[in-house]
Amino acid sequence: MSFIKELSKGIIKDNPIFVLVLGMCPTLAVTTSVENALGMGFAATFVLLCSNIIISMIKNITPSKIRIPVYIVVIASFVTIVNMVMEAYVPALHKSLGLFIPLIVVNCIILGRAEAFASKNNVLMSIADAIGMGLGFTLSLTIIGSIREILGAGTWLNIKLMPITYDPMLVAILAPGAFITLGFLMAILNLVKEKK
Amino acid sequence: MKYYLKLGFILLIFCVVASGILAYLNTLTAPVIAERKAREAIETREALIPGATFEAQSTKDNMEYFIARSAADSTQILGYTFVAAQSGYSSTVQTMVGVDKDFKVLAIKVIDQSETPGLGANCVQESFTGQFKDMVLADLRVDKDGGKVVSLSGATITSRAITNSIAGSIAAVQADLGGEQ
Repeated sequence: MSFIKELSKGIIKDNPIFVLVLGMCPTLAVTTSVENALGMGFAATFVLLCSNIIISMIKNITPSKIRIPVYIVVIASFVTIVNMVMEAYVPALHKSLGLFIPLIVVNCIILGRAEAFASKNNVLMSIADAIGMGLGFTLSLTIIGSIREILGAGTWLNIKLMPITYDPMLVAILAPGAFITLGFLMAILNLVKEKK
Repeated sequence: MKYYLKLGFILLIFCVVASGILAYLNTLTAPVIAERKAREAIETREALIPGATFEAQSTKDNMEYFIARSAADSTQILGYTFVAAQSGYSSTVQTMVGVDKDFKVLAIKVIDQSETPGLGANCVQESFTGQFKDMVLADLRVDKDGGKVVSLSGATITSRAITNSIAGSIAAVQADLGGEQ
């Protein structure tokens, strides 16, 4: 159980979206553009990192019967902090993500990692786990967001990619597009895994 | 029984610490947020009616609006600005509106919305907001309702919310000013 191993597992082997299939609500909701996907990914990573550290630190003084409410309090506090700081200092990002930030509270990746990892491991390992899972989450969101933004709006990070004659495939940035994209990506990942 | 009280007490301590930290951070960020919002509102007003000074007013129903007077000559009224708000498809759409002294629309800007990306969210684009220029109260209905506003495709509800909220606010300001005279 080395630091690097814990760090890298979240990116491919235990990828939170494509393998663990956790946190589907924000995944489907915010991947309409790369900008939103990156913002959501980093905000969730930050909350995950902070909550993993705190939960790992308090694991010995938390009675197991009330651990879930304690985790929720810790997570909700960090989400509120992110929300306030973002609104004060990065208003543009807050404008597009404002609706989704409160959703991080119930993002099951964060509670899932708190329960499955941080409450059983030391602080250092929990940091590695949080960074790995957070990056895996961000990377997956960015991939889905890229596909949907290129197909649905003809742009990538607001840079025009498609020729002017390209008629945006509107369905890609609506909810069904999220399901279709996610399905194809999971299928491709499974295919690659089976071939190995 | 004693055991459960102890659990409750531990949870209470966690909550007190957490809310203490949040309260402290709130005192740091709240003024920054309020100041930024106020500055944005001023900037938007100035973009809608350039070269004016603004004087806050409110109608009997507590709707706030601003009388824009020429910066050079304060007896000359250039127009009025106000925020029109109405529920759209998935959020309250807020639009800042500037009208001239005869209540002809000068410009509008959608300042807050969380409508469907790709459909209703297109209401912030110039191609939609630009068409409101020079419209008067009688024109302010979407095309489906017999007005002059061309709806966004696939987002009639958003278009209607913006249009109707502007029409309603113009009527409210007009009534308020009419009542004073």
